[in-house]
Amino acid sequence: MNPLNAACYADRAIWCRAPVVENLVIAESTFRVRIPCPELARRIIPGQFVMLRLAERSDPLLARPFALYDTYRDAGELAGIDVVYLVKGRFTTAMSRCGAGTEVEIWGPLGNGFSSRPVEHLIMVAGGIGQTPFLALGAEFLGRKRFGEPERERGTARRVTFCYGARRSSMLAGLDDFRNQGIDVRVATDDGSAGHHGFVTDLLRQLLEGEVSLAQARIACCGPEPMMAAVARIAKEAGVACELSLETPMACGIGVCFTCVARIRTDHAEGWDYKRTCVEGPVFDATQVLL
Amino acid sequence: MTDPIPLVPDLRIALGRIQLPNPILVASGTFGYAREMARLVRLDRLGGIIPKTITQQPRPGNRPWRTVETASGLLNSIGLDNDGIDAFIAHHLPYLVTLRAPIIVSIAGKSADEFVGMAERLGGCAGLTALELNVSCPNVSGGVDYGADSRQCFDVVSRVRARCGLPIIVKLTPNVTRIVDIAKSASDAGADAISLINTVLGMAIDWRHRRPLLGNVVGGLSGPAIKPIALRCVYQVSRAVRTPLIGIGGISTIDDVMEFLVAGASAIQIGTANYTDPTVSMRLLDQLPVALTEAGVPSAAELVGTLRVESSP
Ligand SMILES: Cc1cc2nc3c(=O)[nH]c(=O)nc-3n(C[C@H](O)[C@H](O)[C@H](O)COP(=O)(O)OP(=O)(O)OC[C@H]3O[C@@H](n4cnc5c(N)ncnc54)[C@H](O)[C@@H]3O)c2cc1C
Ligand SMILES: Cc1cc2nc3c(=O)[nH]c(=O)nc-3n(C[C@H](O)[C@H](O)[C@H](O)COP(=O)(O)O)c2cc1C
Ligand code: FES
Repeated sequence: MNPLNAACYADRAIWCRAPVVENLVIAESTFRVRIPCPELARRIIPGQFVMLRLAERSDPLLARPFALYDTYRDAGELAGIDVVYLVKGRFTTAMSRCGAGTEVEIWGPLGNGFSSRPVEHLIMVAGGIGQTPFLALGAEFLGRKRFGEPERERGTARRVTFCYGARRSSMLAGLDDFRNQGIDVRVATDDGSAGHHGFVTDLLRQLLEGEVSLAQARIACCGPEPMMAAVARIAKEAGVACELSLETPMACGIGVCFTCVARIRTDHAEGWDYKRTCVEGPVFDATQVLL
Repeated sequence: MTDPIPLVPDLRIALGRIQLPNPILVASGTFGYAREMARLVRLDRLGGIIPKTITQQPRPGNRPWRTVETASGLLNSIGLDNDGIDAFIAHHLPYLVTLRAPIIVSIAGKSADEFVGMAERLGGCAGLTALELNVSCPNVSGGVDYGADSRQCFDVVSRVRARCGLPIIVKLTPNVTRIVDIAKSASDAGADAISLINTVLGMAIDWRHRRPLLGNVVGGLSGPAIKPIALRCVYQVSRAVRTPLIGIGGISTIDDVMEFLVAGASAIQIGTANYTDPTVSMRLLDQLPVALTEAGVPSAAELVGTLRVESSP
């Protein structure tokens, strides 16, 4: 009803400081950093995020939000998480220059995560670096991985399709990670250097046209705002449920600064209110978001 | 010979009528309504909690962007996004008063009458330690700037004092020519303590698109970048008034805390550092007794205002 009664406070969050295990280039301007944080790794679910910063530095000052890409094991035990990031500005540039052993501060899991309601066909749609939450989600729905402590009710889907749009083929990251989990990957690039020459929304339209039972499908989407707005429109026209993961800039990630607000439909006079995406999101039902 | 230093320094602090278990508080607007922090911080250990400023009416807040990071600092124009005093009393107060930490409610009014009305209502609520009057928020347009005018400041503080039994803290803005004058009027009007400082007015620009980065064009700067300004304000005001001071501005390490105490603050508030490390308050609480012992004082109170300034020859 109001931004005070957020659905998901940082209830089970953990703060820790750790030396990164590795920080590798996996595509053009795109890195994967591996962070040891076993307790956090046990609790986090797909669509949740962490706040990450370089230890002992006041510039960049604030931590930045990053989605869970994957958890990893060491000697059979859950040992930490992988974050995949695109080099954009001050933090990601500084981070990209750091090697193994660099101390980072990390806290999470934060936010609500994607729904785990079982579905016949889960369609994940991503633009650019918006792809990061979908490896874990797809793996969970195909029964390859489980997340959360206590383990959350695992989402299931008979099919998981991943429509992934990027500017050019060199910016496509982690395609093998997705394929190895049994996810059906469909690619679109703006310049036609890989897959469909055009928008990822074209792929989504094609997919929905061939879909037998739209009521049994669900879309999960993350990417630039215009792309998410287009996906939400397509979903509405087709009558398919759709969840959006918003990438609103954040300062605290835990609900205390009111930076990360998005316009969410409410019964207010204006029909909407600013809500904090870090505690009420980042995942929202597409019909609730005013983009 | 000096008296032996007790093993565990006494952390208790008195600010006028206010008694606090220790001098480490968390600043308004940087700790939400405390509930958000509960699993990362042991709230009961804090010297005081000041929830986000509330206003009479709900305010949606400013349009994004609401914050921009600058060199070792954070620029914000949240615009006092809050659901108003009714929602605060209904939803947050019942939780806050169950905590052992002292709760200091921050209020901002558009007029002196609004300040008085809100103070009267909160004065009737059980379990509160004090009020902090936010006469210094740079983000509320349309209101009178009570923190920039000595007479207005005196007027609003004395009227609240007359109508509300709770101790009163007045939080001042550094965005004035002579902060000492404003502090004097708050002191003369009967403030129990003065908080220094709120954010420093600033701006950030995207020259490529020829536009300001903040939705509100200008905003308040906080974080390590403003610590020297805050220290200067505490020092100057501590020389001019007897009212106890609470230092705020860029505090994130135990050295920062000690500097503010030495400069003349009886207590401090942690602001932006709660974002960059949500557990910072616990770390500083662990370190404070050690630092006081190193300073050779038996209590936090005895360090306050011990700065030695050599007069010029
Ligand atoms: C829940 C969530 C999950 C995310 N997951 C990932 C992920 O897995 N991988 C990934 O690469 N990225 C992810 N992001 C985005 C990521 O947080 C940003 O790209 C990152 O903060 C960039 O930091 P930077 O210091 O490199 O860039 P910055 O220097 O902060 O600038 C990045 C860009 O944002 C703009 N910007 C800066 N401040 C604001 C503001 N207040 N409002 C609007 N725009 C602003 C800048 O102009 C610039 O274009 C996620 C974001 C959210 C909210
Ligand atoms: C995002 C943000 C929101 C703030 N909101 C409030 C507020 O509602 N009321 C208030 O009195 N001060 C508010 N402040 C100011 C802080 O309480 C503090 O005075 C200031 O940030 C300086 O301290 P710091 O450098 O430690 O952050 C806010 C500061 C920030 C960064
Ligand atoms: S990022 Fe601070 S409230 Fe969401």
